[in-house]
Amino acid sequence: MLETDAFAADLLRGNTDTIVLGVLRRGDSYGFEIHKAIRDAAGGDHEIKEATLYATYRRLEKDGLVESYWGDESQGGRRKYYRITDAGRAVYRGRVAAWVATRRIIDTLLDVKDNS
Amino acid sequence: MNTDIHRLLDEAFDGVAMTPEARELKEEVRANLMARAAELEAAGSSKADAARTAIAELGPVEDLLGSPTGVRTTNAPRPTAAELHALNKVRPNPAFVVRATLLSVGATATATLAVLAAFDVVDGGSVAVLGLGLATAAILGFVTADSLRQETTSNYPMPAGRAVGWGTATFAGLASLASFAAFANDTALVALAIAGGALALASIGLFSWLGATQTNRHKSWVTGVSNHQAYGQPNRFETDVAAASRFGIYSGVIWLAGIGVAIWLAIAFAWWWVLVVLGVCTVASMLLLASMLYGSKAAGGESE
Repeated sequence: MLETDAFAADLLRGNTDTIVLGVLRRGDSYGFEIHKAIRDAAGGDHEIKEATLYATYRRLEKDGLVESYWGDESQGGRRKYYRITDAGRAVYRGRVAAWVATRRIIDTLLDVKDNS
Repeated sequence: MNTDIHRLLDEAFDGVAMTPEARELKEEVRANLMARAAELEAAGSSKADAARTAIAELGPVEDLLGSPTGVRTTNAPRPTAAELHALNKVRPNPAFVVRATLLSVGATATATLAVLAAFDVVDGGSVAVLGLGLATAAILGFVTADSLRQETTSNYPMPAGRAVGWGTATFAGLASLASFAAFANDTALVALAIAGGALALASIGLFSWLGATQTNRHKSWVTGVSNHQAYGQPNRFETDVAAASRFGIYSGVIWLAGIGVAIWLAIAFAWWWVLVVLGVCTVASMLLLASMLYGSKAAGGESE
């Protein structure tokens, strides 16, 4: 059981960049909201660690795939929002296409029958 | 408001060198922690528990900072811009090249005919001016959108909606010119002048909106190259402030002298001398820029 958890977590972590781009495609967002979106989608079983996410934001911003700006919250900490760029959208589309193609190959190789 | 967060955050960042990156990260983390703590409180935790849990979930701060940002850990030589360019080269789509060339030739032809019609060299009057002008606008608008949709070596293709927006703005701008030209040809057609004005406003508005909301579509290798100035020589004006200010002074002198001479020539001889002076000044400025920005090694000895 533990081993399968680690396998699933690995798969999720390996796609962190694309997952974050996917969340931002729905609209500008900040760290907590992005983390929550991933947590909710994963059903609480598998999580991407916050440290991984912060590193991802930095890398995506350096590569020009997202832009950041500070929100204007009047009380409490100001939030750092991220916005996907046109480059980010293009990369996202390419990665999704690659994922769909790879998933099909792996399904075939692992002899996965669609039992849903 | 949960004040425990601030204390715990300060403790977590205690001993971390407060570089600008670390300070920014701390502020980013602060807002996220407060949102997480608020969520935990809403679920029934006490303030203190919520703050502690939120901080604990964060993990060690060292992990957040990761390796020092922007510092390459390997000593391998960084590939040059030319190597990166070759590695990332994207060949243009042949169909696009043929399309763009043929359409540009077509647009040139219709634009030329429109101008000839406007000056009554060919028959047709304002109807021909308007029709040919609109055809030119439509072709160039399409070419604009089509070009932006292409992936290039340095840029990703623009999303379809935006590309169409740029194409439409181009069309509106050129169509307004066509309307005004047709109106100038036959001043009885006041509706054309109004349409031209409306199109011009629409074009300006659309261009402004597109420009203001434009985001990056450079590929990451281009972003990396511009960050590290790997493009051969770095921009001289960035490394040599004195050269930059000298360039500013020289430019000022050229244009002030140019304006003075232009006024004198316009008063003494004819107004169109202004255009000649304008041309001379533009050429002089370009030559100055070329010689100073990419100065020879001898001239720019102090740069790398």
